[in-house]
Amino acid sequence: MGYRIGIDIGGTFTDFVLVGDGEAGDGEAGAGGVTLLEKVSSTPADRSDAVMVGLELLAGRLGLTLHELLQRTDAIVHGTTVADNTLIEMDGAVTGLITTEGFRDEIDLRRGYKEDIWDVRLPAPPPIVPRRRRVTVPERIAADGTIVTPLDEEAARAAIRRLGRQGVESVAVVTLFSFVNPVHERRLGELVAEELPGVSVCLSHEVMPKAPEFERTSTTVVNAFVGPRVTAYHDRLTTRLREAGYGRDMLVMQSSGGAMTREYMRRRPINVLASGPAGGVVGGAAIAAPKDAADLLCVDMGGTSYDVSVVHNGVAPAEPGWNWHHRYLVGLPMIDVVTLGAGGGSIASVSAGLLRVGPDSAGAEPGPVCYGRGGTRPTVSDANLVLGLLSTDAEFAGGRLQLTERGVREALAREVGDPLGYGPEEAAHDIWRVVNANMTQAVRRTTAQKGIDPAGVTMLAYGGNGPVHAAIQAQELGIRRVLVPRQSPAFSALGLLTVDPRIDEERSYLAPAADVDPGRVAELWSDLAQQATKFFEDAGFDRGALRYELSLNMRYPGQNWSMTVPVEVSASASGGSGSGGSGWDGGPLDFVDAALIAAACERFHTIHEQEHTYATRNVEPELTGVRLVTSTPVPHPTFRGGTPATIRAAAPSQRRRANLGAGFAEVDVYRGADLRAGDTVGPGIIEESFTTIVVYPGWQATVDAAGDYVLTTTT
Amino acid sequence: MSFELNRHLAARRGPLGTSAEVDVVTAEIVRGAFETICFEVATHVARTATSAMINQSSERNASIIDAHGRLAGCSLGIPQLMFVSPMPIRHALTFTEEDDWGPGDVFVGNDPYAGGGHLPDYNVFAPLYGDDGELLLIQAIQCHQGDTGGKDPGGFSPDAVDVNAEGLIIPVLKLVHRGEARRDVLALLARNNRLPDFSGDIWSMIGAAQLGVRRLREVVDRYGADVVKAAVNASIDLSERRFREEVAAWPDGSYEADVYVDHDPVGNEDIRVHVTCRVDGDQLTLDFTGTDDRPELQTVWNSFGNTRGYAVAQLASMVDPSIPKNEGLFNAVEMIVPEGCLLNPPDGKPVALGAFHPAVEVGEAVCVALASVVPERAAPQVYKIGMPNVIYGFGPDGTMWFDQGVDVRSSDASATQGVDGWGANSASLGNLIMQAAEEMESRFPLRMVSRELTTDTGGAGRWRGHPGTLNVKQTLVPAFASTWMVSAKHPLRGLLGGADGGPYSNRFLVGTPDEYEIENAAFNVPLPEGAVTAYQFGGGGGFGDPLERDPAAVRDDVLDELVSREAAERDYGVVLRGSVEDGDLEVDVGATAARRARLREGRSAGEQVAGEQVAGEQVAEGA
Repeated sequence: MGYRIGIDIGGTFTDFVLVGDGEAGDGEAGAGGVTLLEKVSSTPADRSDAVMVGLELLAGRLGLTLHELLQRTDAIVHGTTVADNTLIEMDGAVTGLITTEGFRDEIDLRRGYKEDIWDVRLPAPPPIVPRRRRVTVPERIAADGTIVTPLDEEAARAAIRRLGRQGVESVAVVTLFSFVNPVHERRLGELVAEELPGVSVCLSHEVMPKAPEFERTSTTVVNAFVGPRVTAYHDRLTTRLREAGYGRDMLVMQSSGGAMTREYMRRRPINVLASGPAGGVVGGAAIAAPKDAADLLCVDMGGTSYDVSVVHNGVAPAEPGWNWHHRYLVGLPMIDVVTLGAGGGSIASVSAGLLRVGPDSAGAEPGPVCYGRGGTRPTVSDANLVLGLLSTDAEFAGGRLQLTERGVREALAREVGDPLGYGPEEAAHDIWRVVNANMTQAVRRTTAQKGIDPAGVTMLAYGGNGPVHAAIQAQELGIRRVLVPRQSPAFSALGLLTVDPRIDEERSYLAPAADVDPGRVAELWSDLAQQATKFFEDAGFDRGALRYELSLNMRYPGQNWSMTVPVEVSASASGGSGSGGSGWDGGPLDFVDAALIAAACERFHTIHEQEHTYATRNVEPELTGVRLVTSTPVPHPTFRGGTPATIRAAAPSQRRRANLGAGFAEVDVYRGADLRAGDTVGPGIIEESFTTIVVYPGWQATVDAAGDYVLTTTT
Repeated sequence: MSFELNRHLAARRGPLGTSAEVDVVTAEIVRGAFETICFEVATHVARTATSAMINQSSERNASIIDAHGRLAGCSLGIPQLMFVSPMPIRHALTFTEEDDWGPGDVFVGNDPYAGGGHLPDYNVFAPLYGDDGELLLIQAIQCHQGDTGGKDPGGFSPDAVDVNAEGLIIPVLKLVHRGEARRDVLALLARNNRLPDFSGDIWSMIGAAQLGVRRLREVVDRYGADVVKAAVNASIDLSERRFREEVAAWPDGSYEADVYVDHDPVGNEDIRVHVTCRVDGDQLTLDFTGTDDRPELQTVWNSFGNTRGYAVAQLASMVDPSIPKNEGLFNAVEMIVPEGCLLNPPDGKPVALGAFHPAVEVGEAVCVALASVVPERAAPQVYKIGMPNVIYGFGPDGTMWFDQGVDVRSSDASATQGVDGWGANSASLGNLIMQAAEEMESRFPLRMVSRELTTDTGGAGRWRGHPGTLNVKQTLVPAFASTWMVSAKHPLRGLLGGADGGPYSNRFLVGTPDEYEIENAAFNVPLPEGAVTAYQFGGGGGFGDPLERDPAAVRDDVLDELVSREAAERDYGVVLRGSVEDGDLEVDVGATAARRARLREGRSAGEQVAGEQVAGEQVAEGA
């Protein structure tokens, strides 16, 4: 078995985790043999540059050439922010929308939604498709799929040419009820291809085959906007990897929780939105399971952003629905990661007498003042340096970056201290307080949406800056246990290695349960399976190893939200192959009959009662669609837990002046590389090669049997 | 009788008795927990209610009330309605002995003359008791019901003679006793409701209130009842203090405004809401003396509870949005609402439609009066629609289907200083998710023909109001419709020189020789198969002088067909050259300067620029 490499691109750093099986190297004795972490500055101009630089460094640490490393690598799983960056910077494709006559303003109307019901000053979201690039065509399909108004092809061509004159590079096509009858959307796609060759086209029934129109329009428009950028990036990186010697297909992380090939992502580039953070959440569930932490609050603080997500009962839920990203709705199943502009690079400033931290970030270039790369605006990292939480002595970013104090105090005084009437140390402390409060609020919003009380859960803190702030936030939230994985600074990259290749798609089928035609359900599942299987086979995966999970989307009549109801397939029904469980083996679907639909209805009532406290068993549910998850298992790193046999106080390597929240004092500082299982620290500061763990007063940190840090309250 | 009750219910309530001290952080955590709980409770209803009205439109308002009947927290929903909910619970709290309150109970109330808003607003609430049997907190969830069992489907009767005609009136009624559902009571409620979805909705609300109580129990278990009570006191004090700090920064003075409702459903015109906002140090007083009180007015009576909630909701939008939303806001404001006027009606007046108008004019009047005082946060948090086109009919088996008409639309999205109007609503309605066409057409024999923004219906201004949409809808089977039209003559007001939003209009049987305009109200009128209705929603108001709008922004508006080329010249004084089709539309700088100078001259010569309004005017009459 060869190496497996997870690569996660963040706003500031690109992180790498290489997992091997026992080859020599300078890595820690992690699970599954050698584990190497690497971290290099992201390269916004061409993000694949940082990927290649990091791979070279990994190869060097193993004593290999890049070519040799890639030859011995079984899998590269990639989490990318390219789609997110496109939405943040609003520099995606020049996008046009073609839609049903009378419906060109859905994307502005947002079904009435506004993000803040109390703030009358919130401006409109930046437009992806300004009204001038939204054209309509006479056509109409009814709810049952019948054509009410045939497509006016001449008008359509004229409308498409209007978009052409405005230089569109990408076109979203959204017609009403296309998920029931896609004939008009398909034809419009052909007409765009004829009239505007080379322009990218997204058809809504392919991106999100279900109602209602605003959600589908928004999702399709975002897909069209980010698509060309995402695809170009994947193509460029694939080419560079191939040229460097990698013979396989890179896998790309999807926000729904699985990875898939570049060819598949070409159709659904929107699936990479927030994919890096999704890797961290899935990895969080994996690493915490043996540590007796099924309910997790995952917090990832990097250079630019703070991501919050929740793992419940060991699972990172990926639900479609009312998911907003960068002020646009994405109606596909996604692991819900709430992002706040709070990272080490978040800029502090004073406006109207109020101290604000973020969301503006100094990013990788120039970075915080203490990076010494020309940054002049004070950041959270600068404040942490002045507070003594970070140090110019410590290795930062694995020793490839030495922090400097030059200009840091001056910047804090100029931008924060002077306007507020105090010195740089007070300014630093207030920046620390404000960023902590901002993050705590983000956590609260997230747990509210999940119906979870944060006090009962374990916090999993990662990202380069997460462990600096984790324990103090945990305290504010009533959390008594914080896990900091040894791979914390590149944890999302590690998480990428815990996911399987996976395709999760659905098809619309609206009908009362009694009217459902089992043959039609089987046909839709079969179509989904065929499509998915082809993508897997094209990527060289063994058809026999594919797993299929069937489910139906159902609701009570009148409800707006559907629930996914897993369909149990008995071993005999799935062809007697002995696969057992609820999996279908891809064989004939002749077991799909009225009884199967009836059993699903029963199950729907039960799940509804569990999740929503009641079931209306005398009301017949309705089907809204069928869903199929296709996946194949790949090797994962194994994780361990365990309390060390002996617990002993560790010896500090030095002491330094630092403010752990209650004023400056001499504080013990420990080298993470010196700490072994059973070592206990606190209060104090642990310096790891890519991160710093602050053990605040009232907390202690113990290295567990797997080498990870477990922080617990001492009171 | 109701005046006396209203005075009693509205009177300031003191803090909860507790010996505990609480630090700021704990108080904030408890407040955050309360807002979280309300978020969960409201989300629960959205996910489980069976009627489109509630699960799609998300008209669901969760709040937490303390044992003194004070608003302790709220988070998600419609501010105006969340702010109403303490009053009916204060009423119910009068009868805890007589009604045998205890743990596990769930109640409902909807009586507009016992603190409620209007009959469709069912307030379902459940008490939380401490270990020693002390009543601690009450979780409330209020949702608009699709029917009230009154004389007309839907609960809105333009010809209602009194509130009894509008439906079943419930001062307070126990639905669940010590955890056991009261079958007889629920059957009675269901029997008095025309909609089959009603039972699912009421169960959803009961489940939500019970969920809230469980979550509140966790908070009390964690911090202790005394600390939680101290935290509620501290949060309410904090909100009052912060609100007063903002008011103290406003210039002292009296600021008045008049706003109008076009007419009542029987044609009485120019229904006036008058407010005087007095700022004196840190004390703000809203005095509605001078508001219309003609006894012959039909249905445009707004319950006192609603008046109170709507006024404070507008004020909450005009201060720092981070101020916690609780009883402290009410404590900071003195309110004078003359007994017998439209905003505090005599017992028995029908109030269902009054919860639209003049209810929203309460907020609009406060906003217009204070626009010059708080220009950076002045935007009316209102909807000026009278009543949507409610369409109903009967299926082949005789069961009624009923479309409330809360379709996706844009209306009344006003600008404020520095921010153009956008989206479909004012911010305060931003949780009100409207019905999608694909959902509606899957449920009802109706078709949405089109709904797009109408050029030139956004109020002109330095910052432009967002245009309203024209919603064209077709009935595919014979059906009936009811509606009430306002805001054609008195559309949404623009602020500080900004023009009013475009007016509303509503046409039935469009495209036939019988096409007609609804001038006032339509009431159960037949719509034959294939009939088309066209509802033009009003635009948002503009803010500031349109002649000061950035000409490049006007050009963009023309490119986006939000503003016509003619209106660009007429209203904004911006002259363009080139053409949209050729892609070379540009501002003619010289011609624009000249045109603007001419328009300004015309103004100083006494000509009125179209639509200009002066806000915060000193109105002598009405005292």
